[in-house]
Amino acid sequence: MVSATIENSRTEHSTALTIVHIQGELDSSCMEKIHALCDEILAKHAPFVIAEMGGVALFSSSALGGFMGSRKRLVESGGDLVLAGLSLEIKSKLNLLGANKIFRIYSDVRSAINAYDWEYKGKAETVNLSFPSELKFVPPVRQLVSRIAQQKGYSNRDSFRIETIVDEVCNNAVEHGMQGSDRNIDITVKIDRQKIEIQVVNISNPEKIRTLREMVKPDTNLAEAAATAGKRGRGLALIKMLSNKMNIDFSGNGTSVHITRFRGD
Amino acid sequence: MAAHDSGYSIDLSFPGDLGYIPPVRKFVSEMLQANNFSPKFAYRSEIIVDEICNNAVAFGCKAIDATVALQFKVHSDRIELVVKDQGGSKEDRERLKELVGGKKVNQKGKEPKRTKLGLEIVKMLSESIDLEIDDNNLTSVRVTRKRDDMEVVENKE
Repeated sequence: MVSATIENSRTEHSTALTIVHIQGELDSSCMEKIHALCDEILAKHAPFVIAEMGGVALFSSSALGGFMGSRKRLVESGGDLVLAGLSLEIKSKLNLLGANKIFRIYSDVRSAINAYDWEYKGKAETVNLSFPSELKFVPPVRQLVSRIAQQKGYSNRDSFRIETIVDEVCNNAVEHGMQGSDRNIDITVKIDRQKIEIQVVNISNPEKIRTLREMVKPDTNLAEAAATAGKRGRGLALIKMLSNKMNIDFSGNGTSVHITRFRGD
Repeated sequence: MAAHDSGYSIDLSFPGDLGYIPPVRKFVSEMLQANNFSPKFAYRSEIIVDEICNNAVAFGCKAIDATVALQFKVHSDRIELVVKDQGGSKEDRERLKELVGGKKVNQKGKEPKRTKLGLEIVKMLSESIDLEIDDNNLTSVRVTRKRDDMEVVENKE
């Protein structure tokens, strides 16, 4: 026997999102109820459905068929049906039936809402990191950012180019900034479906910053400057080639580099 | 590492999403190895980070925009990890206190076995684990892990 309540708890955020709480045993007797629920949801024009199923004790293959039919109807209306909060036992059984190839399954409703916001509302996620200004820490930092990009669905190639940007910017931050384990570099990564923004802030080394200021003058052609300056300047030229936007701010005691790169895949 | 052991600190905050945990734990491991900690020490520290961060996300991130803050301080003879989250329900907090304190957990409660196992693993791999919950329910789990690879490092030198 199944009982289900429909709760649209997202009206202040998205009228297109519905959360359905389902509990009990889902078997062939539920098909009519599932179909009626789907009719009701479509009538409300809230076709993105999160089925919260923490209280489900049984999920038969016939009920799964009913869910698949409902999902098809919702997708045809521009929506989707995802599952959230399944117990390990039910989730394992559904995976054996191949349900994970059709439905996205989330650990809880919050994760499902975040995924919806990410995909359909353009929500950005932010990671902040502060680490000592030493070159040996740059490889782990760049790999962290690369892995985050991959985890958020960016391609391997895109992630590697992002890693290259981080590597160059952080190396510059260390080399042109005050170094030491008590001098930290702050990096903020803001990522959404379409772009990644990276901001790196350090404490400037007055003796070294002049060179950097010269290289980033508005009328400087970085590629030409890199060609004539030997090894110096290639990093900035590379960053500029790999990014869509680059701003450098020398105000205060620190240098702030802000990079924007649009997703290339 | 500097001769005077003031150590250094790394601070990281990330969204309360399980998908961030693998990159974060690998980052901790790589940062430790960059500072001459052995791969074995780094990997066991990675295990600690994984367990505590999983708990923080699963039980301490209720708001949609919840975040987890990880700080690790590296000294010549030890590391200190602190993971902070916004705190879970009253039940979750009481359960966490019991698990960290080592008191018997009411098995009739809803405590998943995984959480208990995770904290037992952390206790096994660390010197100490402490819990702090402030008036705003901000929950901090602090783990100290003594460096046990000095002999290996010295022998290699």
